[in-house]
Amino acid sequence: MSEIIIKNLVKEYGDGFLAVNDVSLDIGDGEFMILVGPSGCGKSTLLRMIVGLEDITSGELLINGERVNDKKPRDRNLAMVFQNYALYPHLTVFENIAFPLRLRGGMTGDEIRAKVEDAAATLELTEHLDRKPGHLSGGQRQRVAMGRAIVRKADAFLFDEPLSNLDAKLRGQMRTELLRMQRRMGTTTVYVTHDQTEAMTLGDRVAVLRRGLLQQVATPRELYEQPVNMFVAGFIGSPPMNFIPGTLDGGTISLPFVSYELPSDTREAVGDRSKVYVAIRPERFEDASLADAAKRASGVTFRATVDVVEWLGNEQFAYIPYEVPHELETELHELERELDSERMRSQLVVALEPSSKIVDATEAELWFDPRATHLFDPESGDNLTLNPEPAVADAPT
Amino acid sequence: MASRRSANWWTLWGLLILLWALFPLLWMVSLSFKDPGTFRGSTPQFFPEEWTWKNYDTVFSDSLFTSALRNSAGIALIATGLSVIVAMFAAYAIARLDFPGKRLILTVALAIAMFPQAALVGPLFNMWRGLGIYDTWIGLIIPYLTFALPLSIWTMSAFFRQIPWEMEQAAQVDGATAWQAFRKVIVPLAAPGVFTTAILTFFFCWNEFLLAISLTSTDRARTVPAALSFFTGASQFESPITAIMAASVVVTIPIVILVLAFQRRIIAGLTTGAVKG
Repeated sequence: MSEIIIKNLVKEYGDGFLAVNDVSLDIGDGEFMILVGPSGCGKSTLLRMIVGLEDITSGELLINGERVNDKKPRDRNLAMVFQNYALYPHLTVFENIAFPLRLRGGMTGDEIRAKVEDAAATLELTEHLDRKPGHLSGGQRQRVAMGRAIVRKADAFLFDEPLSNLDAKLRGQMRTELLRMQRRMGTTTVYVTHDQTEAMTLGDRVAVLRRGLLQQVATPRELYEQPVNMFVAGFIGSPPMNFIPGTLDGGTISLPFVSYELPSDTREAVGDRSKVYVAIRPERFEDASLADAAKRASGVTFRATVDVVEWLGNEQFAYIPYEVPHELETELHELERELDSERMRSQLVVALEPSSKIVDATEAELWFDPRATHLFDPESGDNLTLNPEPAVADAPT
Repeated sequence: MASRRSANWWTLWGLLILLWALFPLLWMVSLSFKDPGTFRGSTPQFFPEEWTWKNYDTVFSDSLFTSALRNSAGIALIATGLSVIVAMFAAYAIARLDFPGKRLILTVALAIAMFPQAALVGPLFNMWRGLGIYDTWIGLIIPYLTFALPLSIWTMSAFFRQIPWEMEQAAQVDGATAWQAFRKVIVPLAAPGVFTTAILTFFFCWNEFLLAISLTSTDRARTVPAALSFFTGASQFESPITAIMAASVVVTIPIVILVLAFQRRIIAGLTTGAVKG
């Protein structure tokens, strides 16, 4: 059992590129920590620095209180699952799983056999033990890679996008399986992914990285409800959060499609700014015709022309295009690009109840609660309405 | 139907090429079984009128041939072994490590491979005599190594490059030292490449003629290709051709066996299944 402490870790490449820039992170014993971010944010590099495959330029890495900066990967006693599994193709599944045990030595053949069979049983690989990796399916190979990791008493498990090569259905199953295994074994786990669903569902805590800089470390719930800046807000949640430019005049804020009075507590946070971004999650909107009178009165209702409606069965998405000033358009463009998506046009995405009768190309009346929105500073991108208290206390125990 | 017809065409072409390639071999085998005194009969025939082992008796009772066979096997095996070991480490370093002068090594290796052997024979002859290794095994092994290494390094570094980096990294995380990772993961994976290179090197050393004839003078180190040119008939009126052919058949057999034995290993892509399909 172990904890990993990362202190001001920096990775600088020969050309001066800072892949990991001054990242500090405490990973507690038994914690499931997710490193997430768009491609090129340094999450994999950070993981490889922890396991020892990348040199540390500066900063400190402590495992169980011991400085391991200069230790070789083999001396760090960590287990890693690679994105492409990196199974040994010339060895059978049994020998693949037994490989780390054989290297460490000091174990009899019977002991090794017992351990490998135990791990294989956990992962339902028993019947494949004599086969070579080349004859296995993607999911089975993935399990062999996990078997190789869990067979020995490693201090921590490190996963580098382990599910990204599986198809969507299998990925979902493996995700649950992985979570169940981690909970049962209680081993400290660091998991790199670019998939926010994996990040939200698996992690005790999630660390969001952007261009080598740590943006926020928090529980999934906190990330979702209290993102510290526009980057985190835009990264977490699907479909992504709407960022709507708003101009302030006294206590009134004007959005392209509605104006309303700011709630008193946020007015203070905004200060004397004349422009902010109002961020509203798609699922915070409601079809006003379905809301009761009391609810309507507590929020803002507005009319807007719905362009397209996508019906998914359990919910539906409505798209409402709107015009924004040109200079803001480019800014939003920039942010979207960093989040690995292509912004086609300025539009509001609204998630509606499946029972809503709103159809394509009609005017609809929508409702939202201004207290459920966030205001972001247009220059720094910081969240102005951050609640200092954690949203819900579900931090790891 | 169209694909069927084109497949037939391919078969036909294949057979033609096979015939083209095999005809000299067949001719060689056929000649080796003909009677040395009468094979130049008035009515030439492809197959011998009378099959005889006489030529084989002649070559195996001739110490010129038997010692040459011993020399050939020894020199080729030693040169191949050394070349494979040296090339394996060199190729691994070139494929995996980033060190100054890497490009230079590859370029020089290629330059050596392109250097005409004939230009080296004269100087080597003089140098070897000065060093006292003229007409010795080592005197042939050294130049064979020089000419075999560049190709071996190039082929093997290509094989090493195909092995995903992650294999080694995974081994290191699993607790292997660099040497263990190399021996237990990289070498088995590169085995097809090593075999291919070894066989190519062996062929080169086994068949080499120019250096063999120039740097040897007696049975001490003369290899088979060189020895063949010294064959004479039983009398001066008898042509040594049939005996030479018998000797040629004998030296061709190991090569055929090698290729048949290892072709599966050469062809087998051992890395299938290492990473995602």
